[in-house]
Amino acid sequence: MLSNVNGKRFLKPGRHLMMGNVAMSEGALSAGLSYFGGYPITPSTEVIEHLAIRLPEVGGVCMQMEDELASINSVIGASLTGAKAMTATSGPGLSLMVETISMAANLEIPFVFCDVQRAGPGSAGPVTEPHHNDIGLVRFSGHGEFQVIAIAPMNCQELFDLTITAFNFAEIYRCPVFILSDAYLGHLHEIVNIPPKEEILKRIVKRELPEDIIKKFSYKDDISGKYIIPKPPVIGTDYCPGIFLHMAHNYEGLPSPKLTQFMEVLVEKINSNKDKICITEKYKLEDAEIVVVGYGLPIRASYRAVDLARDEGIKVGILRLVTVWPFPDAIVKDSVKDAKAIIVPELNYTGIIAEQVERVSKLGMPIIKIPKVGVFHHPDEILNAIREVAK
Amino acid sequence: MSDIGRMVPNEKPEHPYVMVSYAGSIFGNFSTMFCSGCGYGIIGQIFTRIFEDERLDPHLFPTIIGIGCYSQILLNVHAKSQKILSLHGRAPPVATGIKLANPKMKPIIFSGDGDCLGIGGNHFIHLCRRNLDCVVFIFNNSIYAMTGGQGAPTTLYGASSTTTPYKMFENRIDGVNLALAAGATYVARTTVAHPRTYIKYFKKALKHKGTSVIEVITPCVTYFGRKNLDSLGAENLGVEGAKMDQGLKMLDWIKRNTVRINQAKFMTEEELFNKYVIGEFRYEPNKPEYSEEYAIIQKLAMGGK
Repeated sequence: MLSNVNGKRFLKPGRHLMMGNVAMSEGALSAGLSYFGGYPITPSTEVIEHLAIRLPEVGGVCMQMEDELASINSVIGASLTGAKAMTATSGPGLSLMVETISMAANLEIPFVFCDVQRAGPGSAGPVTEPHHNDIGLVRFSGHGEFQVIAIAPMNCQELFDLTITAFNFAEIYRCPVFILSDAYLGHLHEIVNIPPKEEILKRIVKRELPEDIIKKFSYKDDISGKYIIPKPPVIGTDYCPGIFLHMAHNYEGLPSPKLTQFMEVLVEKINSNKDKICITEKYKLEDAEIVVVGYGLPIRASYRAVDLARDEGIKVGILRLVTVWPFPDAIVKDSVKDAKAIIVPELNYTGIIAEQVERVSKLGMPIIKIPKVGVFHHPDEILNAIREVAK
Repeated sequence: MSDIGRMVPNEKPEHPYVMVSYAGSIFGNFSTMFCSGCGYGIIGQIFTRIFEDERLDPHLFPTIIGIGCYSQILLNVHAKSQKILSLHGRAPPVATGIKLANPKMKPIIFSGDGDCLGIGGNHFIHLCRRNLDCVVFIFNNSIYAMTGGQGAPTTLYGASSTTTPYKMFENRIDGVNLALAAGATYVARTTVAHPRTYIKYFKKALKHKGTSVIEVITPCVTYFGRKNLDSLGAENLGVEGAKMDQGLKMLDWIKRNTVRINQAKFMTEEELFNKYVIGEFRYEPNKPEYSEEYAIIQKLAMGGK
């Protein structure tokens, strides 16, 4: 369904100066976005503003719905017809949308959710300050158990590239995929290198109808023991279950009393593919005794701090989580096994990812949190923490 | 496959339309999950009839169902119809997404009074405002029946429910007036006791381009009929009421408690209190429809004329 009537879908290849929210919208358009349902909320408003211009140009639809509940539900409806669909919001909007996320996870409806995080709790706080507070909410969003994928870019180039990856993950794994941006990253202007159209087209996963039209939902193959995820069903074709029933169902979509097996498929279809989903970046980790673990925008300060510390002779490296959920247990465990201490600079107070790191690291491993809300980490703050540990 | 079929005796179906319904195609008989006296069997039957008689293309007429007792209607609607069970009150936005992503489709929305006028009231208003091409059914049994008979926004004044055990004293919301104010272009109200007008309105709505809202008054014997007297709606006449604990008694009450729109014009507000006015309230076939308007915008943005 990639309509590119007049060649306006792809930007001219080359260097563009773009705002983060715009880079993400362009990434989505390149990935084949054809429906956007949203509701204005600072700091994600530029997404809907940009797509209101760009989507009709390529034959897509950009809808400003009456509220967040309506926007996410219209995204579900559009995705059911085979359109690649997305919504963008911030923390308060996410809180409203979680019920539908739970339903979409059950029905395995693919969609991409951009969360431009802002300071919370509450809805009338400093709305243009970043705060990675939704990182826990997206993992446990909605009632019921299910696994989501969340990706945390750190610059505008990644907002473009990883949005395409997010759409691919949504198509392949059929689960809600979150892009965790924040107020500063969304409003940051940076140079984005747009690759040529052919290169982008090679990267994207298209929505196609499969040959086997009986199996419409994920299931565990009894013989191989693997979790098989068929292509998403499309209404208006024969590849569609009689009823989209959001309760425990089998691969045909018929109600099933086997709740445990249903849960197993929903969760394990993601967990068993962690090696393909979990993207991480390692920086000077080979001989590191101190490991900085982080994600998103705050990790940019750590690179500078690590370089300075290396000049002083301190063996320190960075493990950057590009995919935050599902949590890359094995990779983190492996990276921190020889470490003396772990530093987790996070843009939230409680240290939601620090808890996860604590879970997979050795017992008694010192974990130094550097909590910050609303402001960036200065490289000096991380450097001081490194020096303190190295003493 | 579940065991529902085995619990119901495999008798010869009495009606040819039974076999094309979803339950009929699986079990070969008319199995519903509704209480005796419920009106949803009639509604499912009428939908199946029209789907079959009008030869609706199942690929183009998806059915979006909200949450309520009527969610179980999916057993009785046409087997070929593509059914989507949405969230409580969120059927209109799902239909909006479907219609705009694939403008060839015409979604048919099933919603209840608590679903459409309670939790999803805002979505309903904006669906009517946009004049999106779809059919909205509001099945009004004036009670939250699925959860056990709580008061609804449409419960009649003076009625008893489990959350208003003494007496309902809130003003009720009128789905038809709301749709008229919000700008729906085809608005009608009928009851399950008037199946012929129901069929007429449904057929008209299918041909209409724009939002069609049809409110259907339907009986709930178990949670409304058993707890209320059939003098509801006729208090000022001094009628001594009897309990409506059977389906026919309730259908009879619905017939007595409805006023045709032609008669209603000559009646005062007091006389119409707690009554249902039935008929066609608005039919404007030439108003601009949302997905068509959006196609013009797309053409404009693409640089066409």
